[in-house]
Amino acid sequence: MNPNTAWLRKTVALVILIGVWEACADLGYFDPLYMPAPSKVAVALFQLFAQGTIWPHLIATFSAALGGLVVGLVVGTVLGAVAALTPLVGELLAPVMISLNAVPRVVLAPLFVIWFGIGVGSKVALAFILVAVLIFFTVFTGIRDVDRRLVERVITLGGGRGALLREVYGPSVIAWILGNLKVAVGFAFTGAVVGEFVAATKGLGYLLSFAQSSYNAALMLALVVLIMGFVLLLFGLTGLLERRLLRWRG
Amino acid sequence: MLRVDSLALAYGATPVLEGASLEVPSGKFVSLVGPSGSGKSSLLRAVIGLQQPLAGVIETDIGAGDIGMLFQDDALLPWRTAEQNVALGLKLKGVAAGTAIASARQWITRLGLYGLSERFPRELSGGQRKRVALAQVLAREPQLILMDEPFASLDAIVRARVTQDLVRLVELRGISVLLVTHDLEEALALSDVVYLLSHGPRARISGRYEVNLPRPRDVIKARSHPDFAPLLQRLWNDLSREVGERAA
Ligand SMILES: Nc1ncnc2c1ncn2[C@@H]1O[C@H](COP(=O)(O)OP(=O)(O)O)[C@@H](O)[C@H]1O
Ligand SMILES: [Mg+2]
Repeated sequence: MNPNTAWLRKTVALVILIGVWEACADLGYFDPLYMPAPSKVAVALFQLFAQGTIWPHLIATFSAALGGLVVGLVVGTVLGAVAALTPLVGELLAPVMISLNAVPRVVLAPLFVIWFGIGVGSKVALAFILVAVLIFFTVFTGIRDVDRRLVERVITLGGGRGALLREVYGPSVIAWILGNLKVAVGFAFTGAVVGEFVAATKGLGYLLSFAQSSYNAALMLALVVLIMGFVLLLFGLTGLLERRLLRWRG
Repeated sequence: MLRVDSLALAYGATPVLEGASLEVPSGKFVSLVGPSGSGKSSLLRAVIGLQQPLAGVIETDIGAGDIGMLFQDDALLPWRTAEQNVALGLKLKGVAAGTAIASARQWITRLGLYGLSERFPRELSGGQRKRVALAQVLAREPQLILMDEPFASLDAIVRARVTQDLVRLVELRGISVLLVTHDLEEALALSDVVYLLSHGPRARISGRYEVNLPRPRDVIKARSHPDFAPLLQRLWNDLSREVGERAA
């Protein structure tokens, strides 16, 4: 198959899927209460924007996700680097991180609500913990597995600790983080939305839980589509960043 | 001048070298040959300070910054272009960034890589990467170069060209070289002195061969010099005995 027309085939497949769904709904095969037609979902989505009610929710979720993402990236990177480079800190942090990694970290959501309230704090915290643990391990194992030959080359050329960090560890770590950035973006949104779902006064997660309590399946699906759209958009931006910064990889 | 005297080296409880002694006089091209696994790489690593010897003396009047090392593999920094890789060697020696880049470009051109300065290592062939690594070492204008089977992965033609370029430069600038190779012909064609390392464990130097072929030297034509074949025969016999004795 021609790879140049891949997007075309994908679009056609999606259109067919939506078409079949619409037809089934219109012909009454699906109960509209549980599985509304795509046109109803589209209307719900349109109304969210037309009435302008969506904006404060979108802003809330985005701020929480991006806040948690940024702080998680920074803290995860610093902790991972320090743990890998100083054995004592590594031994102290490893058990905590391994435990945190062993549980699905969204289970911390109710606890964070108690600790940080139902405001934005508990959502940022959840997004943060999801991202930070991921990035910690990315950086920690990345530094441990750094190409020894490159380290030896730089030492042989007279490079000290600073040169090693700048020339070898820094670029390696950036490559590993970028490799996991899409997962991190996904995690950040999961954290924000799940946090809002548990307890909140605004946000896409809050709207989801509102739609659930009012049995509004069209709204729920509209929100799912919306979240998907935004995460895909961010994936696209991440991809651009990757291609730009990892040009050497081709 | 580099003098290695009674060097002993081990990995944990496994002995590698014991009582290995050799000398690289100033401006001379010296090769080290020997069975694989005998400890040739380990010896070079000890000289450059990447390996701690158990006993023995490593003595040189050359500063650490004036010793260059060309490793067996051509691992360059993958995220740096050819010229950045070469310039890094200069910057770490204290050369200002602008001067380093200009000089790096000159060396890249001198080694036949004109137009490839801004390529990443991934975009270069094995032979081209080897030349970049060589440029990185030569640009620092070292007084002593250690080389660990640097040309093993190159095909015959490229290999002859790279070694000829190297020999010309070394002769011109009076650089001292300690080359590890498993190619006896190459060792003789390039060197003033060839050392034979015995079979490990506890390898030591078991032979020293003076190569009095004229300089400047053509690395291909040198092989048809009348003195070449007898020397090669001797070296071959001695190395076979080293390998044979242990194998028997
Ligand atoms: N990092 C290492 N750890 C343990 N043993 C090693 C290591 N490097 C080399 N050796 C062993 O030391 C011996 C000498 O190795 P090396 O110096 O690489 O030999 P050569 O370069 O002559 O082939 C070999 O037996 C090899 O297996
Ligand atoms: Mg070796």
